[in-house]
Amino acid sequence: MTSSTSTKTAAAEATPRRRRRGHNFTTTDRAVLSGLVGGPTLLHILLVWIPALCTVALSFTYWDGIGGLNEIHWVGLKNYQQIFTIYQDFKPAVRNNVLWLGFFAIIATPLGVILAYYIDKELKGTKFFQTAFYLPMVLSLAVTGIVWDYIFRTNGFVNSVMGNTDAQTAISWFGDPHKNIWIVLIIASWRHIGYVMLLYLAGMKSVDPSLHEAAAIDGATSWYTFRKVIFPSLRPVNVIIIVITVIDSLRAFDLVYIINRGRNGLQLLGVLVYDNIFGEATRIGWGSALATILFALSIIPIMLYLYQTFKKDK
Amino acid sequence: MVLALIGDHPYFWYSSILWWGCFPKTSAEEKWEKMSDMFTEEGVSRRSVLKGTVAGAGALAAGGLVSAGTASSADAAGAKKVSVGSNQSDPAARKNDLAWVAAAKTAGFDVKLNTVDHNTFQNQINSYLQGTPDDVFTWFAGYRMQFFAKKGLATSISDVWKKIAPNFSAGYKNASTGLDGKQYFIPTTWYPWAIMYRKSVFKAAGVDPATIVTWADFINACKTFQSKGITPVALGDKGGWEAMGTFDFINFRTNGFKFHMDLTAGRAKWTDPRVQKTFANWATMFPYQNNNVLDLAWDGAAQLVLQKKAAMQVMGAFHASIYTDPADLADLALFAFPEITPAYGREAVEAPIDGYMLSKHASKNLANAKSLAEFISSDKYGKAVLAVAPTALFANNKMPKPSDPFALSQVNLVNGCKYIAQFFDRDSRPDFAGTIFQSALQKFLGGGDPKAIATDLQQQWDALPPA
Repeated sequence: MTSSTSTKTAAAEATPRRRRRGHNFTTTDRAVLSGLVGGPTLLHILLVWIPALCTVALSFTYWDGIGGLNEIHWVGLKNYQQIFTIYQDFKPAVRNNVLWLGFFAIIATPLGVILAYYIDKELKGTKFFQTAFYLPMVLSLAVTGIVWDYIFRTNGFVNSVMGNTDAQTAISWFGDPHKNIWIVLIIASWRHIGYVMLLYLAGMKSVDPSLHEAAAIDGATSWYTFRKVIFPSLRPVNVIIIVITVIDSLRAFDLVYIINRGRNGLQLLGVLVYDNIFGEATRIGWGSALATILFALSIIPIMLYLYQTFKKDK
Repeated sequence: MVLALIGDHPYFWYSSILWWGCFPKTSAEEKWEKMSDMFTEEGVSRRSVLKGTVAGAGALAAGGLVSAGTASSADAAGAKKVSVGSNQSDPAARKNDLAWVAAAKTAGFDVKLNTVDHNTFQNQINSYLQGTPDDVFTWFAGYRMQFFAKKGLATSISDVWKKIAPNFSAGYKNASTGLDGKQYFIPTTWYPWAIMYRKSVFKAAGVDPATIVTWADFINACKTFQSKGITPVALGDKGGWEAMGTFDFINFRTNGFKFHMDLTAGRAKWTDPRVQKTFANWATMFPYQNNNVLDLAWDGAAQLVLQKKAAMQVMGAFHASIYTDPADLADLALFAFPEITPAYGREAVEAPIDGYMLSKHASKNLANAKSLAEFISSDKYGKAVLAVAPTALFANNKMPKPSDPFALSQVNLVNGCKYIAQFFDRDSRPDFAGTIFQSALQKFLGGGDPKAIATDLQQQWDALPPA
């Protein structure tokens, strides 16, 4: 067996272009490879894709989670129709998710990129700022929510500093549905900016320094160089940043759940799905419809963007 | 039989992996080992990695087999083994649990108590009851109990009730009966909802609670407190459920108990003009509330009363649990919610009943579980809990009248009432009382239009799947 393998390898080296790498593997190798690749793929299909398809299927039913298949009643598009027309929490949830996405896309992510640009210049003290900006990512979202709750609650830090210690004059930051989403967006950005900054910094460190020099020789300013030369060359990192911005804003859950269980102006699609499926009263069909809507909201923009980006590559 | 018992246990399947490692190496495996030695550099062969995972699974299985062994062992020395799932996660509440479990031990039971965080227990009750629940679990009376009994997730205990009926009044037996006429619930403790206040605050402002009988009296008292710089009514609805108490009271004071029960059950509509009367009456209270209602949970609002910053709170008697200083506790008192429509007076009160139910899983341990149910319904249970919680109120009529004046005032309050409601989220469908109604109340408290809110509520009720 050993000798046949070495002849095969020699033959492969003689004609490097014609033989594909796969032909160097023995049957045992192939068996092991298919097991090691097939196993996780099978698990992925079983635990991710089949449940996702089941969720979409369940979104067309009425089911309270108790009992077997004979308790599941098919109702077609009724759940979707009712969610879009009469479900009171749906519009605020979509508004908040879109607001989250807009805030991240327009304010938080660009701020992170700009911070990365300045820190890349390696001026004095940038190491401290690097750590300081990334530190919020180290905390879990639940802890972040609790800490900021202490700051913004009625008898918390902000109200005390403003002098509003009386129950009547204290500003209700989290209780007012017009204010609380903005406070939560600030907290989420506090965390997101450090994340984007670090990703971008890592990308920028890998840029060929000759690009900088070439641009400098041509007389371009530092900011112009960044905009026209560096930024386009970091396309893979840009793709990642855009994808995580979209995903993080659409899957937001922990912060609002810790603050007030996602009610009263802090509704989010993720929280609505959770409340309807995992609460005491389980409306599986309804929650599945909400989950399908969230899935479509997440997947479609990303697919469009990726298709656009990689189409240009070809 | 041992295999059959272990077979039920999930670790049985891991143990089968253990067997694979016990077989000797075949020639193919030896060749594999040689080849992998050729390709790897550090000498960590694939076989050793696979051996590692098998050993790990084996260790898991060994541990699993051991625990399977103990789980399937026969009852030791005649003590009746029963498992109890409890939501009494607060330290004070847990003391009660430990006290009665100790009393059960002397009565010949071996109780395995599983305590889960209070809110988590309620939220996960659906999946808990369908999985492998404990034999006996804490739950509440009302539609909340009837709902799960109807779904077949509880075991009927009508035969136990035949024996224990003399211990309870007819009202409690009714509250323990499911929709099919069989009993499913053992009531243990209860508490009323009323207006909580501190006697010293009322005295300082010159208000006598005995004079607050009608709604007009109540609003006048609020005006007096406001002129003295004290917030008249403290309300905190961050949790979503707290304001249901105020809603319930205003509703059955304005429109009568029958209308309220019809509304919670869906026999009356939210678009009924009587509901608008309730909202209108409630709106007259708004100027006298604290202005951060949606930022405070029930204990935040209760703190306002404790700190004498607010005069009253519409709350259950568990309001007293935040009063740790006995001097403060002695200052605490309550009075019944004022009447609104004279025809209905103060004939109704919210007095939720807590107790225990038997899960479907108890059918595997039926005799012991029913025996424990009988124990819980007896005054032996009551006396054990009373020793650590002197202000608790028991459903069992064999228990002595409470000596603590606060507890006694609660008993007198309820004794004067003809009708008892359980609280909105126990009287109504859980899928309505949870996300839908809580959201609507918060909108109303935030200044929403009551007509639009009522129309939306009815639309969402109609959209619910049939019960």
